[in-house]
Amino acid sequence: MSDRITTTGLCKKYGKVLRVKDLDLMVPEDGVYGFLGPNGAGKSTTMKMILGLTRPTAGKIVVFGKEVNSRNRLSILQDVGSLIESPSFYGHLTGAENLQIISTLKGVPDKDIDRVLKIVRLENQKQKKAGQYSMGMKQRLGLACALLGNPKLLILDEPTNGLDPAGIQEMRELICSLPQQYGMTVMVSSHLLSEIDQMATNVGIISRGELVFQDRLSVLHEKSRPGIAIRTLNNEAAAKTLFEQGVSCRPEDGYLLLPRLADDELAGYISLLFDRRVGVVRIEERRESLEEIFLELTGTAVSL
Amino acid sequence: MKEAIALEFYKTRRRRIWVIVAAMIFVQMLWSMWGVGRMDAHDLAEGWMFFLYKLPLLNSIMMPVIAAVVASRLCDIEHKGQTLKLLNTVMPAGRLFAAKFICGALYLLAAVLLQIAVMVVTGCAAGFEGNPPLGKLLLYLLFTMAATLTILLLQQVLSLLFANQMISLSVGLVGGLAGLFTMFFPQGLERLLLWGYYGVLMLVGMDWDAGTRIMDLHYTPVDWAGFFMLAVLFCALYMIGRTLFVRKEM
Repeated sequence: MSDRITTTGLCKKYGKVLRVKDLDLMVPEDGVYGFLGPNGAGKSTTMKMILGLTRPTAGKIVVFGKEVNSRNRLSILQDVGSLIESPSFYGHLTGAENLQIISTLKGVPDKDIDRVLKIVRLENQKQKKAGQYSMGMKQRLGLACALLGNPKLLILDEPTNGLDPAGIQEMRELICSLPQQYGMTVMVSSHLLSEIDQMATNVGIISRGELVFQDRLSVLHEKSRPGIAIRTLNNEAAAKTLFEQGVSCRPEDGYLLLPRLADDELAGYISLLFDRRVGVVRIEERRESLEEIFLELTGTAVSL
Repeated sequence: MKEAIALEFYKTRRRRIWVIVAAMIFVQMLWSMWGVGRMDAHDLAEGWMFFLYKLPLLNSIMMPVIAAVVASRLCDIEHKGQTLKLLNTVMPAGRLFAAKFICGALYLLAAVLLQIAVMVVTGCAAGFEGNPPLGKLLLYLLFTMAATLTILLLQQVLSLLFANQMISLSVGLVGGLAGLFTMFFPQGLERLLLWGYYGVLMLVGMDWDAGTRIMDLHYTPVDWAGFFMLAVLFCALYMIGRTLFVRKEM
């Protein structure tokens, strides 16, 4: 599978501060690439550099196999739709008029306007001024603009920002459907782990301008090491017994957290606890959540 | 390019930019009717010169404000809707800059043509001596447009670079007043200020006899050096302004 976007050693310096450091991104063809990172990590800056809205301080950007420069940028971007930060629109024009402007500039036939309005379910609101749209409708109009001309690649920067839960759900479903229905590759950024977890097939995690993880989402899940949590009627005595057996454990929320153990080994320790008259009332398998993995990777808390 | 200019007009639908042009023409019509109504035989003989002397004075106050408002109305839609980051992915920034300028220039050209039409109609109706001086009127069109377009260019650069339109509108207001003020200074000083070029390129001079309290008007030689200097200023401003806009990071 070839990559839609690759960046090599991408850097961006603002003043003396490196906001993006040596970023080597690989966005594979088809599917949703989740670009995850806390606020201020450099996600928007990176996306703007890919679109040529901001000049990189150093590094190389390749889109559709071509190195992007100021001469070929617009011809490459003909196959790219984008929604960066907040949606762009003319508030005094209707939704349809807004789309007309972008379709003319993209050289897309007028009938495509109705198609994208249908995809984002704005066909009944197209004659309303965009300034009177709700936040969710503005966001959908922004997405409709990005979808004009059926681009091969969509770059969406925090598309669910400012939406209510129903709007978030709707936008998420829409994004997830794009690769299957229209064969698009979607690069979507978010500071919400749960969101990326539900949308992405591949994920890149950026922290303080550096890429700390990049692979399939399933690989990230595999990184979560399972452990055992037990709850007893006397956790203190149980901990002492396990410690004598060379098993390290730590108490948390009324449970004792043990490392991953083989089944027969665990059965031996439980039976020993029974022998010592320590009543075991719960045995659970625990997996590290994505948030914990993120913390491990970056040492930074991330919004939920 | 034609498409980009047409889109600028399309984008400014319902923004009523023409209202400012209409308001200006209306004010000038009232002023010319008031001025012509008080004319005696001596004034009527110098009628065409009277217009060509007074209108640049009026223009030096009004045109910078109109140029500032037109440029601001054309550019603030992009800031309000945060559309520059989208437009920058579908069209070259330099083309957008040029299209906006041409669109604004067409509004101002319409304003100056209407101004000349009002001048000719009023002059003929009032019975000014002789036919309308076509050559002088063409020069008036050229010089007024040259000064106005250079001011429009400066206003557009400011309106595009700064989201806060108060900056560009304040420059327009202060510039208009400064331009009028420099008309009372020696010509060397007038040339230093962009807004002073309505005065530099005036086609008519005035002799004021304090004893008889009679004002005599006469045609003055065309200041081609001043026009050339303005053209150089325009080119420099266009190149600098365009480069700043194209290089601006979103």
